[in-house]
This record gives sequence, structure tokens and C-alpha cells, in this order.
Amino acid sequence: MTKVDLLGRRKFITGLGVAAGAAMVAPAMAVSEKAAGVTWDEEFEIVIIGSGFAGLAAAIEAKKLGAKDVHIFEKMSYFGGNSAINGGLFAAPQTPMQKKEGVKDSVDRMVGDQMKAGRGIADEALLRHVAEHAVEALQMTLDAGSEYHPYLQQLGGHSVARTYQTTVSCGAGITQPLLKKCRDLGVETHNRAKFEGFLVGEKGEVLGVKMRQNYHFEEDQPGKVINVRAKRGVIMATGGFAQNVNLRMAQDPTLTAEVGCTNAPGATGEGMYEMFRLGAVPVHLAHIQSGPWASPDEGGFGYVSNYSIYNFPHSMAVNRLTGKRFMNEIADRKTRADAELSCRDEKGNAYPPLLITSYKDSKKHPNTKKVIKYNVGWKFESVDELATHFSVPVKALKAQIEEYNQYVKSGDDKQFGKNMTKAAGKYIEAPFTVVRLWPKVHYCQGGVQITTKAEVKDSFTGQAITGLFAAGEVCGGIHGVSRLGSCSIPECMVMGMTAARSMMNA
Amino acid sequence: MKTLKIMLALAMFGFASLSAQAVEIRDYHKDVIGKDCKACHDQGMKQYPSDESCLSCHNVDDLAEQTARSEEDKWQNPHNNLHYGKELPCQECHSEHKAKKPMCSNCHTFEYDKHKE
Repeated sequence: MTKVDLLGRRKFITGLGVAAGAAMVAPAMAVSEKAAGVTWDEEFEIVIIGSGFAGLAAAIEAKKLGAKDVHIFEKMSYFGGNSAINGGLFAAPQTPMQKKEGVKDSVDRMVGDQMKAGRGIADEALLRHVAEHAVEALQMTLDAGSEYHPYLQQLGGHSVARTYQTTVSCGAGITQPLLKKCRDLGVETHNRAKFEGFLVGEKGEVLGVKMRQNYHFEEDQPGKVINVRAKRGVIMATGGFAQNVNLRMAQDPTLTAEVGCTNAPGATGEGMYEMFRLGAVPVHLAHIQSGPWASPDEGGFGYVSNYSIYNFPHSMAVNRLTGKRFMNEIADRKTRADAELSCRDEKGNAYPPLLITSYKDSKKHPNTKKVIKYNVGWKFESVDELATHFSVPVKALKAQIEEYNQYVKSGDDKQFGKNMTKAAGKYIEAPFTVVRLWPKVHYCQGGVQITTKAEVKDSFTGQAITGLFAAGEVCGGIHGVSRLGSCSIPECMVMGMTAARSMMNA
Repeated sequence: MKTLKIMLALAMFGFASLSAQAVEIRDYHKDVIGKDCKACHDQGMKQYPSDESCLSCHNVDDLAEQTARSEEDKWQNPHNNLHYGKELPCQECHSEHKAKKPMCSNCHTFEYDKHKE
């Protein structure tokens, strides 16, 4: 695993002295303050913190509804946040492509799948709100110029194929067009602008924010802090905290710096924690999801993640020690991540399992070529060659392949109950492509509690905090224990749009 | 060589006056800019140069053309990449006075032979 960058990050975090709820030490970190008596340096109609899917969708919707003055602030030097590097997978029920492919789906069915993965603690009202508006959000991306693969995918935990993916297999296929659209509509975008706290009125309402200008991430670079008045309110679209090792370990001590992370470096969570200080309700913070499709042979999300997401339905995952399958390859993320983490050698060290796919089926995904080219995946002409390369017991592996191919034929996986619909006719045959699997921290289900209007609720009053809205991964409780793949983009975009609608109707 | 230069600089100016003279400047920049630190440090000497600073001499479109890759790998062009287009500030990958890795290496195993760390 690429430990270098993670260790660097850990050092940075230690240096900042950020710990959940603990006192902040040097350098001086601003917090929320009373607005009384402050001088406003700027006054804008709508202030959006964060430039990922949620922030961009909010800005576009606000403009469409007639907002004159919309500003997006981004702490990094570049725009797009974690959204710009994610998989670009977008789930929605009753889409044009589902109609074309004859897939029967509904809002109820999508919510049902998500409730199951949420293991009883997901927020049905929010999931329903998102599913009901997901097609609108998809349309917003199409209007901005996003392009999608001409096929649907069925991701782990989904009972039907309902997932679109951008042709570049990356969220940038959405963030780039949305960012351009924002600018075409006259949205002002500010980079290197770090959120430093809220400015609140006498009744605790959010009147504005403090922003540090000329901010250089991970550098000791003192930029000037300015007070920005937000007339209609502030939308916090600051994402999760998967990159903040101290904060995630405070919630789940197993997620040390040695566990990889797929997120963009800026996913450090201070916007969320500032909302808690203001009174927001913390929900489900300990539910932090690891992606079971990641590879220990590259950093971050890399190339393998999308490769394996596409290939899992017609692939076989085997434990190198036994040569046998150890999980349903399209179970939900938590089920698979836990199963992968149990693959260890005799000494208990990580022994990443293999994902074996027939080249004839894997090659349909554009990443397959790249995975092989950049040495994060391999092609083999025979089972023997594959088994020798990875020291897998060859006899057991051959037996497993034969057994699995019976399930492909019968459509009934007797080992793990995998839904074999997408595997029909796709036998595991040479030549093979193989990648190694190991989970990486990917998504924080926890965050601030919001209403279906994207209002942030106050923990004492149970009421919405006036002037404060939140959308995207910074919000918590929506997905419960485990978010299904491709359900974050619709959530970010729908809740961003919702926040803009709430503000413009207020 | 680099180490030697720095050591020489240290010896000449002493630890107490470890100042701008000790910083390294790329040869090609030395030729063009000389010792005019403010040519880059447009926001004052104690601040990093602005994102626009490099662009007063370098043209993004030219750079993108110089580092263009074949159709299959076209999005691996650091100056016009998949995630951020042509908008990635130079300072994400380049630094005048210290070593830096290309940003892509956070997630990808691409090779950039000519990248000076």
C-alpha cells in the first residue's frame, strides 16, 4: 500500500492537533462568533462552502430560481472536491435507460434496497426524497453536458440495474460540466478560500461566515480572514472526513493511518465539526464505509475501483490461501469489505484476495487496458499461470472455477446466494484478468442531521437553524450502516438542489 | 550537487542568516529571472506566489500541448487532465524551492519522466 502520502497526512493532522471535541492547539483556529459589531467585508445573496456535486448543484439551481448573487468557496486550490475523483456512478429509478433495457424499477424499490443496506437505521424520508428527485438531478447533469456509458450497471446491494456511469468513469465527467455551467450562469467561484466559522445573530441564526483567503492546504500560510454576510443563508457542502485519521479513529479505532483512503485530500471534516459546535445534531458518525473494490497496488480510488465495480457481477473473488470463494461478489459494501479483511496469512497479516474475471468480459470496461498497462492488474493465459503467480493452490482453484461455472449455468449460486442475472452466460474462462482487492476508507455515513428541506437541525430545539443548510456527505443518518454504491451522487445533487429551493422560497 | 550547493550556502552565510540566498532556483529560471524574487512572489516575500504568477510567463495551452499524450492516455496530461482540466494550479505539482511529487501519484502509477520533483 502507498503509505507515504497517508503518513504525511497523519503528520499534518497531528501537527494541527485536531481531535474530536478536544481543545484546539496551535495554529490559532477561528471558531464561530457573534456577528454583532463585526464589519462585513462582503455581502452575498447565497454562500456555498464546498465545490463538489452538492455545492455545484445548489449553485445552478439557485441561479435557475433567480438568485442574482451566488458564491462558491473552495478551500483547495482546485474545484470539485471529492466528487472530481470519485467513480461517476449515478443511481436513479425509472430512468430512460431502464425503460430502454426493460428494467422494472420504482422509487419504492430503490428505497427498499437502501433501507436493507442501512440495517434498520437509515432515514427513509430522506432516501425517498432523494429517490423521487434523482431523475431531475440526472437531467441537470445531462443539460450541463455530462455523457454516460450506453449501458446500466447493477452495483452491490441493488436488486436491479439502475446505475449510470459517466463515459470517463469518473465524477469529473459531472463536476467539470457543472462547474462550467455555474460560471456560464454567473456563479462566482473562489479557490483557496477556507471556511473558518460562522457569524451568528442574537437568536443563533447564521448570518454569515468567516473565510480565510489565499489558503494553502497543509501549509502554514496565513491568508487574511474576511467576514462574509450571506443574505439568504449558507449551504455547507463540505463533504466527509475520511482523510482525517484522528477524527475517523475517534469514531472507529480500527481505521488507522495504515488503512488506505480513496478520498480527495481535502475531506478533513472541519466544516462538519463547526456545525456541531453551533448545535447541529451528530448522527451515525461511527459508520464509516470502506470500499471493497479498491486495490492495494495503487493509491486512492485509482483505476482498479471502477474496473472491479463493473466486473464484480461476472467475476469470482477467491482467497489466495484456499483458492476458494469467500463472499458474494455483489453483496453490499460492508459485507464485502469485512469478508476481504478476513483474508489473512498464517501470521494474521493482510493477504489481499483476488478478483478473477474472464478477459472477454472484463475488456468491455475502458479501465481494463489501463489496469494491465499500469501494473495494478494482470492478464493470464491459463489457470496454472495465474495460480503460480499468486501461489494459489491450483487444484482447489480449478475445482472452484468449475463449481462457480455451474452456478453461472443454473443461475443459482449455492455458495453465497449471489444474484447471477448479470453473470448469465459469462463463464470464468481463460484468458483471465486479475486484480488484488483490499478495502479503503471511502465514505462517511455520519454527519449533521438535516430535514427533507436540507435544513440543519439544532440538537436542543429540534428546530432548523435559521440560515444554515447542508447537503451531501457532510450530512448524516441518511444511509444508515452502509451506503449503496452510486447512491451518493444523486443524494448530493438532490439535496444541493433542495437547499437552493428552500433558500429561494424562504 | 544540490546538497553541496546548499552546504556551501550555509557555510557562506552562516546558520543565522539562512535566508533567500540559500534557496534553490532552477537553472532555466535563473537565466530568465535572475535574482528578482518578486518576479514570482507577487503577493509579498512571505507569501506563496499567486496561482496566476507562473502564468505571467507560461501559457497553459502551450504546456498542455507539450505534455499531450496519445488518445488512449489523453487524460493523463497533467496540464489538461481528466479531473481538473487546465485549471490545476501549477503549485500543486511544481515548487521552485523544494521537491514535490506530481499530484496524480496520489492515486495513479503514471510516470512523468521529465517532472522535476
